[in-house]
Amino acid sequence: MIVFVQATGGFFSWEWVVNHLDDIWDRTVQHLMLTAIAIAIGIVISLALSVVALRFRWTYAPITWFTGILYTIPSLALFAFLVPVTGLSVLTAEIGLVSYTLLILIRNMVAGIDGVPPATVESARGMGYTDRGLFFAVELPLALPVIIAGVRIASVTTIGLVTITALIGQGGLGFFILRGLNLFYSPVGTTQIVVGTVVSVALAVAVDLSLVGVERLATPWSRRRATA
Amino acid sequence: MIDLEDLTKVFPGTAAPAVDQLTLHIERGEIAVFVGPSGCGKTTTLKMINRLVEPTSGTIRIDGRSVESVPVHELRREIGYVIQQIGLFPHRTIRQNMATVPGLLNWDKQRTAERVDELAELVALDPDMLDRYPPELSGGQRQRVGVARALAADPPVLLMDEPFGAVDPIIRAHLQDELLDLQKRLRKTIALVTHDIDEAIKMGDRVAILSEGGHLEQYGAPADILRDPANAFVADFLGTDRGIKRLSLIPISDLDLETGPVVDRSATHAEAVAVALEYGTEWIAVRDSVGVNGWIRIADVPSSGPAAVDTEPFQTRLTTNSTLKEALDAIVSSHTSVAAVFDGSELLGMITAGAVSREILR
Repeated sequence: MIVFVQATGGFFSWEWVVNHLDDIWDRTVQHLMLTAIAIAIGIVISLALSVVALRFRWTYAPITWFTGILYTIPSLALFAFLVPVTGLSVLTAEIGLVSYTLLILIRNMVAGIDGVPPATVESARGMGYTDRGLFFAVELPLALPVIIAGVRIASVTTIGLVTITALIGQGGLGFFILRGLNLFYSPVGTTQIVVGTVVSVALAVAVDLSLVGVERLATPWSRRRATA
Repeated sequence: MIDLEDLTKVFPGTAAPAVDQLTLHIERGEIAVFVGPSGCGKTTTLKMINRLVEPTSGTIRIDGRSVESVPVHELRREIGYVIQQIGLFPHRTIRQNMATVPGLLNWDKQRTAERVDELAELVALDPDMLDRYPPELSGGQRQRVGVARALAADPPVLLMDEPFGAVDPIIRAHLQDELLDLQKRLRKTIALVTHDIDEAIKMGDRVAILSEGGHLEQYGAPADILRDPANAFVADFLGTDRGIKRLSLIPISDLDLETGPVVDRSATHAEAVAVALEYGTEWIAVRDSVGVNGWIRIADVPSSGPAAVDTEPFQTRLTTNSTLKEALDAIVSSHTSVAAVFDGSELLGMITAGAVSREILR
């Protein structure tokens, strides 16, 4: 590696970065979009499956079993299976990305709602909440900290996974990493690998931190400490 | 007001019923207390009234109308419900908690806001508390909020499951008094569950004593049950201090209070001694501009009179809601051998041991 760097006269080109700022911006936006769509769809599907699991307890084991299997399929293999069916498309990327969010999100949603104090649920029922009202007005808000913790893990995981989708023509910042690898470690190649990696990591950190902010805004009660 | 008829509950997977053919009538405006050892089905019975538990057989009517005649959530909005753990919503402010049922009934904002202010006053909750969250309140305050929340839509019926079980004994006694006081004004029909026979005797206009398996052993006014227990189970459950317990049913307001040895701050030494002699005490109570706040041993009164002396506070300050049992306790545990009865800061009078025994023998 050292020999290599000497031979090519440095491994990072600021010039490339400056000349490709627009490109980097576009890929960053694409990366965020792929992530956001995956998380949004993941939340909707997970919420539906969590409601089923909470309502019919016996379904929880098969649901985690199924989403657990999805979670363990190597992403590369999953995309390889999907491409013949859905092509080199955003759809292919999202099917994969969404699959990987489900286990984390469902587990946290169910655990969050199970964690709502039974006395709170009983008093809510006793005052005349319908099942639906109870879920949306009481259980869901109280489960929010645990659910958002799940969304944070799922988001960070997804941001990492998005780079893999470069192999099927998507990829966001993964595009730079893949192209960098194909340029056989020329300075322009390594620069792109570094840019793709660093911005992707920065994105993960930024998204994680902003979700912490969202949690604080969404759960104002949890910031107050007991005085007595 | 509330009629339970042949009410039976057998939980799935159990052979013995939790409640067995219970028939009982709760008068309008009365507090009926369900009391018994654990496993006697008292909580199950309560929860069948608002259908948190569905009976296996039998009927429940409120105001002649079967509880099954309306959708369950509508039924519950017309019945106040208070549980031991209170179950306030931790994610909502006290104000929002109190506004729960008005919210479910779609009251407009102004009506709800006015009602919340009214409720805070009703349960003597500091308005500053309204914008806090439940974990920021003390146990006693949370319990008050629980009651206020249950009363929000002014339901005619209130169900209370061990409502004072989670607070310490001092606050419990205080909250019991407050509820009795509230009940004097509101005249709700209340079904209250407790495992504490003393609480049952204190709170109940009528007490239902249940034994394991949900058998009703006796139902009647506490004084009648104490005087005449229906069977060995009831006598045993009431305890060997049944006589003393009866004291707790006689309110202080039944007694003529004695004025007691009270002198003004400005009194002379001679006047103080004269008052003490008149009552045969070795101490005098001192009245100053804010009322009677304490007492002094006559031996400690200097020749200049009581003006400059610090007084000892009365250990126990009873109110007219207090009972002879509390009075007796105050008498035997105080240096002055009297129970001082106050209305706020105003001394109403004193009770001596002699007055207590005269009342028991009457």
